[in-house]
Amino acid sequence: MRSKTAPWILMAPFLVLFLGTVVVPIIMAVGYSFTTVERSGLLGEDGVKSVFAGFENYAAALSNANFIASIGRMILFGVVQVTVMIVAATVLALLLESASAKWPGFFRSTYFLPYGIPGVIATILWSFLYIPGLSPIVDTLGIIGIDVDFLAPGVVLWSIANIVTWTYTGYNMLIIIAQLKAIPGELYEAARIDGAGTFRVVKDIQLPLIRPALMLTIIFSIIGTLQLFAEPRLLQTMSAGITSEYTPNMSAYAYAFQYNEIGMAAAQAVIIAVSAFVLSAVALGISQWMEKRR
Amino acid sequence: MKPRLTRRSALVGTGAALTAALAACAPPNPGDVNAESTIPASDGPVTITYWAWLKDLQKVADVYNASQDRIRVETTWIPGGNSGGYAKILSAVSAGGGPDIAQVELRSVPEFALAGALVNLSRYGFDDKLSAFDPGAISQAKVGDNVWGVPQDTGPVATFYNREVLEGELGLKAPSTWDEFRETAGAVQEAGKTLITLDPSDGSHPVAWAMQSGAVWYKPEGDGWIVNMVDDASMRVAEFWDGILEDKLVGTGYGAMTTPWYAAAGDDKVLASISGSWSDALIETVPGGSGKWAVAPMPTWEDGYASGAHGGSSAAVLSTAKHPAEALEFLTWMCTDPAGIDAMIQYSGIGWSPAKDYIGKIRQQPSEFFSGQNYNEDVIVPMAAGQNLEWTWAPLMQRAMAMIGDGMTKAVSGEVPLVDMLPAVQKEIVEIMQGMGLNAEEAR
Amino acid sequence: MSTTTSPRPAQKPAKRRTPAEDGRSGSRSAGRNPAVTIIVTAILAIVAIYFLVPVYWVIVNATKSTDALFGTNGFWFGGGFQLFENLGNVLTANGGIFPRWALNSLIYSGLGSALATYFAVAAGYALAKYDFRGKKLVYAMVLGGVLVPGTATALPLFFLFSSVGLTNSYWSVLIPSLVSPFGLFLSSIYANAAVPDEVLEAGRIDGVGEIALFHRIALPQLVPAIVTVLLFQFVGIWNNYFLPLVMLADEKLYPITLGLDNWRAQTDRLPEFYQLTVGGALLSVIPLAILILVLQRFWRGGLTEGSVKG
Repeated sequence: MRSKTAPWILMAPFLVLFLGTVVVPIIMAVGYSFTTVERSGLLGEDGVKSVFAGFENYAAALSNANFIASIGRMILFGVVQVTVMIVAATVLALLLESASAKWPGFFRSTYFLPYGIPGVIATILWSFLYIPGLSPIVDTLGIIGIDVDFLAPGVVLWSIANIVTWTYTGYNMLIIIAQLKAIPGELYEAARIDGAGTFRVVKDIQLPLIRPALMLTIIFSIIGTLQLFAEPRLLQTMSAGITSEYTPNMSAYAYAFQYNEIGMAAAQAVIIAVSAFVLSAVALGISQWMEKRR
Repeated sequence: MKPRLTRRSALVGTGAALTAALAACAPPNPGDVNAESTIPASDGPVTITYWAWLKDLQKVADVYNASQDRIRVETTWIPGGNSGGYAKILSAVSAGGGPDIAQVELRSVPEFALAGALVNLSRYGFDDKLSAFDPGAISQAKVGDNVWGVPQDTGPVATFYNREVLEGELGLKAPSTWDEFRETAGAVQEAGKTLITLDPSDGSHPVAWAMQSGAVWYKPEGDGWIVNMVDDASMRVAEFWDGILEDKLVGTGYGAMTTPWYAAAGDDKVLASISGSWSDALIETVPGGSGKWAVAPMPTWEDGYASGAHGGSSAAVLSTAKHPAEALEFLTWMCTDPAGIDAMIQYSGIGWSPAKDYIGKIRQQPSEFFSGQNYNEDVIVPMAAGQNLEWTWAPLMQRAMAMIGDGMTKAVSGEVPLVDMLPAVQKEIVEIMQGMGLNAEEAR
Repeated sequence: MSTTTSPRPAQKPAKRRTPAEDGRSGSRSAGRNPAVTIIVTAILAIVAIYFLVPVYWVIVNATKSTDALFGTNGFWFGGGFQLFENLGNVLTANGGIFPRWALNSLIYSGLGSALATYFAVAAGYALAKYDFRGKKLVYAMVLGGVLVPGTATALPLFFLFSSVGLTNSYWSVLIPSLVSPFGLFLSSIYANAAVPDEVLEAGRIDGVGEIALFHRIALPQLVPAIVTVLLFQFVGIWNNYFLPLVMLADEKLYPITLGLDNWRAQTDRLPEFYQLTVGGALLSVIPLAILILVLQRFWRGGLTEGSVKG
C-alpha cells in the first residue's frame, strides 16, 4: 500500500528462486522438446548435430506404445488407488470422530505414522514383505496352499498401489478429520432433535461438508499418481513386470539418462506436466460446478 | 506512462536473460573428444579416478599403486549399471566432471560411445595391446575397427547344476545338447522339481542363446548397421524356446540367483542355472550346497558355437578423462598382468579373466563346493574359447534387451511366440536406430 | 474471523467450531453403546495392524543374521539376537557412510525447509498485504508452479545446473528445495486473515520500516502457518528421491533415501547387504516415527487450530 518497493523486496528471494528453478527449467524443457540429433558414423563419432524437429518428438511420444501404455497404467492406477485411499481415509476419519472407539489418539497416530516414512524406505520395507523367501506373508499363505506372488507382472501394480495407500491414507484422513472438526456443533444438535440416526448424520451433514476437502485431496492425489517414480523404480529390480518405461516419469527419466534422447525426454516431461495441469483443471471445474448446483 | 515503460523494459530484460540462459544450456552435445588431437602422456605423476561397482576395487588399485610411483589410481564405488550407476556416469560426463575410467558392461559400451562419453582407445595405440587379451573378450568391446573399452571380465555361459540330486537322486545327467536339455527338463519336472528358472523380463539369456547359435543381430557395415534377428540361427533358438515355454518345462516365476531362487535351490527344488561363469561365486552361497553342485558345458547345437556371452564388463576411458594415456596403461596392467587379474579375482570377485592366457591362480585348482571339480580349467576355459567372435553389440542394447525381455514375457504368457517376436523387434530396432540419427536397415 | 491453515491452498476457511468436551466433533449418542464401541475399536485395531506390519517386520528382522533372515519365520524372532551387532555394522559400513547420509538428510531438510519457509512466508505476506502491479501475474505464475510436477523440471534443471557446474554438490539439491509455492499460498491466505491492516498501519505511524514491520509484527502472528509450511517442506525434502537421484553422483552427498536404495541395489549380488538394508531401514524409520508422533500435535495444530484473533 505504502511502499512500491517493499513487496518486491519481500518477494525477491522467492521469485528469484522460483524463476531459476521452476520457470526457466520449464522453458528449457519446452525448448528441448523441439530438437533432435543427427549422427554420422557407426556411433556418431564423425559428427553429431542438434536440429530443430518441430513436433516430431511429440508425435513420436504419442505414438510410442510404451509411453501410451504407461499413461494408461497410471490412469487405471489412479482411478482404483485414489478411490480406495480416499474412501478408506474418509471411513477411518468418520469412525475416529464418531466417538465410538477406544484410544482414538493411538489409532490416529498409528495411521498417520507412514506419512513420515519416505516413499523409498516404505518401498524397501514393503519389498521385504513381497519377496518370496523373505516374506512371512508369502510363506504363511503358502502353508495354507495359497500361492501369491506380489511381484508377478499382473500383480505388481497393485502391490505399488498398496505402498502408496499405506503411505498416504493416514495423511488424507487427518485432513478430513480437520474438516469434520470444523463442522459446527449446532448442526449435530439440530440433526439429533430431528431424530436423525448415525447414517443420516454421515450422509446429510458430514459428507457434504467435507466435500471440498475431498475434492482437493483427490486432485493432489491425481498429480501424485502421474508423478509415480520412486516406488516402481525400486521394485524394478525385483519384479519382471516393471520395465524402465513403466510410468510416464520413469519413461522420461530413461530417455534422458539411459537412451540419450533428450528431445524425446523433454517432450514426455511436457506431456506429463500438461496432463497434470489439465486433469487438475478438470477436477477443479467439476468440483465448482457441483458446488454451484447445490 | 512511466510504470508501463519500466515494466516493458523489465520484461525485455527478463526475456533477454532467458534467451541467454537457454543458449548457454542447450541439450548437452557429446564432446568431440574423438575428433580432437589425443592428450599426450603426462611428464609428472598423475592421479586417475575410476568409478565402478566392483567391490573392494581400491585394493586392486593399491596393488598397482604400490608397484610404481608415477600413476596413482583412486576408485569410487557406484551402483551397478542400470541400478543408477550409468545415470551417474552419464550425468557426470555431461556436467564435464566425470572420472577418467568407469565400469561399463560390455553390451553397453557402444551406447556410451554413442553418447559421446567414451574415448576411442584405438586412437591411443591400444590396438597393439589387443593380442594380450582373450579374443572373446575384446570382440565384445569393438564396434567396426575401433575398440571402445578395456574388457575387465566376461561371462562365458556354462551349466551349473546340483549333481547330487540330478545325477544321484534322479539318475539324469547334465544335458550336453539342447535336445537333451528338453528331455532332462521334462524328466526333472516329472520328479516334481525344476531344472532351471528364468526371469522372462531378463533379455540377457535369449541374447546369449542366439549368440551361441551363431546369430549376428547387429552388423556394422561401412558407416551403417545391418539388423538381422531372423536368420536361421536365431529362428531355431526361438522355435526351441517356444516349445519349452509352451510345455512349461522351465520355471518362469523368478530368475536364477534371486532370493526365491536361493531358497528353492537350497531346498533341492531348482537344480541348475545356465548362465555366465560368474555364477559360480553366487551359487556358492546356496544354503547347504557345498560338495553337491558341479559345472558342465552349455548345451549345444550341432553346429554353432560352444557357448555364448552372458554379462561381463569393460573399464572404459571416459571422454572427460584428463589422463587417457595413463588410464589405458593402468587398465592394460589390470586386465592382462597376472598380478592384476589375481587381485581382481581375490578382492573384487570378477567374472572370467579377460587376459589371453591367464585365468587366475586360484582358478587353477579344484573347488570344494563344486564336487572337487577343477571346473575352471576343465569347463570354463573351453567355453571362453568357443565364443561367437562375429557378434557386435549395438548402441541401444538397453532397449533391445528390454524388448527381448518383453517378448519373452509375452511368450511365457502365450500371447506372442518368440518366432513372431523376433521380426517385430527387428523392425522396431531399426526404427529406433534411425530415430537416433543412425544409418540402419533390416537385413534382406 | 477465523480460518484454518489447511495444507490445501484453496480450502475454504471453516466457519466456526464448537469443540466437544473430548475434542472430537461427534460425541453423540452412538458413543455410549458398548457393542458399537467394541466393533468399531476392533475394526480400527485391524487397520492399525496393517499400518504397523512393515515396521514390526523390520524391528524383528533387524535382530537376525543373514542366514536367519531367510531361514526363520519373518514374523517372529529367531536365530540368535544380534541387533546391536547389526546396527553397529550399519553405522560403520563403508567407513561410516550411514551417519553421513543421515546428516546430509538433516542438512537438506533442515536448512532447506527453514529457508524455504522464510522466503515463502515473506512472499505470501507481501502478496496478501500489499497492492501492487503484477500481483495477479505472480499469483497465476505460482499457481502454475504448484501444478507442474517436480519431476518435469528436474531434468532441465540438471542441464541448467551442469552448465554452471553445480551438479553433484550440496547446492544442487538445496537450491531447488528452497522454493515452496504451496507455502506461499498457505501463508498468503493465512496472512490475509491473521495480520490486521490496522496493526500494520499503527506500526507505520510509529515509523517502523516496511521490512521491519514484517519481521516484528507480522511474523509472530503467522507462527501457525510457519509451523505448517515448515513441516510440509521438511517432509517433502526428506522424502524427495527424484531430485537427488538426478543431481548427485557422489555417495558422500546422498541423503538417507538414496543411500539406502544404494545398499538395497547391492543385495542382488551381495546378500550380506540385506542385513545392512534392514538395519538401515530400522534406523531411519525409528527417529522418523518418534518425530511424527511428537509433531502430530503441531500438525493437527497447524491443520485445525487455525483460528486467530482478528
